[in-house]
Amino acid sequence: MKPINRMKTEFLSKSVNESFARVVAASFAAQADPSIDILADIRTAVSEAVTNAIIHGYPDKEGIVVMECILYPDYIEIIIEDFGKGIEDIEKAKLPLYTSRPDLERSGMGFTVMETFMDSLEVESEQGKGTKIRMTKKLVNR
Amino acid sequence: MDISFSRDGNTLVVSIKGEIDHHTAAMVRERIDARFLMEPVKNMVIDMSGVNFMDSAGIGLIMGRMNRVSSVGGKLSIKSPKPQIKKLLKLSKIESIVEM
Ligand SMILES: Nc1ncnc2c1ncn2[C@@H]1O[C@H](COP(=O)(O)OP(=O)(O)OP(=O)(O)O)[C@@H](O)[C@H]1O
Ligand SMILES: [Mg+2]
Repeated sequence: MKPINRMKTEFLSKSVNESFARVVAASFAAQADPSIDILADIRTAVSEAVTNAIIHGYPDKEGIVVMECILYPDYIEIIIEDFGKGIEDIEKAKLPLYTSRPDLERSGMGFTVMETFMDSLEVESEQGKGTKIRMTKKLVNR
Repeated sequence: MDISFSRDGNTLVVSIKGEIDHHTAAMVRERIDARFLMEPVKNMVIDMSGVNFMDSAGIGLIMGRMNRVSSVGGKLSIKSPKPQIKKLLKLSKIESIVEM
C-alpha cells in the first residue's frame, strides 16, 4: 500500500523529549481522525519505545533518537530507533516483568504494553549498534 | 506536575495532577516518599483522577510505593484512574495487588 503521508524527526536522548515524542506522534496520527482510545494507545506505546531508547539505549551518554511515522490509508506505522547499546537477547527482553534495571524502579512492562496497545511490534537490535522498533496500529474512524 | 497531600486518620492521601512518565516519575517518587516518612500514617491512597497520561514508569512508581507501604504493614489503594490508565493497571496485574 502507498503511504499517504510521512514524517521523521530526531531528538537528543533527554527524558524531557518523552512527552515531545508522544505528542508529535499522536498529533500526526490525528489527521486520520481515529478514536480517542486509539490515539491514547499510540501515545502510550511511543512513550514506552522512546523511554527505552533514552534509558537503555544510551545509559551513560547522550545520543540521537529517530522517530518516523508513516500514514497509510487505514493504519499508521511508527519506527523508533537509537544507535546505542543494543539488546543482547530480544526474546528475554520482551518477557513481561523482565527488566535489566530494577534499580531504577522499572517494572519490565514496556514491551508488553507496546505489544498489547499496538497491532504489531517488531524489534531489531544489534549489540553496540542500536535498536529499531517498528509498530503499527489500525486507524479506524470514529 | 502538581502533587498535593492530605491526611485522613492513618492514611496519607496523595493527589497527582499531570503526566507520569520516566521524566516526571523520579520527582513524584521523592515527594511521596518524603511525605510518607513525615506523617504519622501507615496506609496510602493515590488519587489518580488528575493524571491524564501514564506509561510503565507509573507502574514502577505504584509498585515501589506498594513495597514501602506494605513494609510498615499498611495498604495502598488507587483511586479514580482514567480508562487508559485502568487498562495499563489491568495489564500489569496491579489491579489484583492494590485496592482500587
Ligand atoms: N532501546 C533499547 N536499547 C537497549 N536495551 C533495551 C532497549 N529497549 C529495551 N531494552 C532492554 O529490554 C528490557 C525490557 O524492556 P521493557 O521496556 O519491557 O522494560 P523496562 O524498560 O526495563 O521497564 P519499564 O518499561 O516497565 O519501565 C530493558 O530492561 C532493557 O534491558
Ligand atoms: Mg521500558
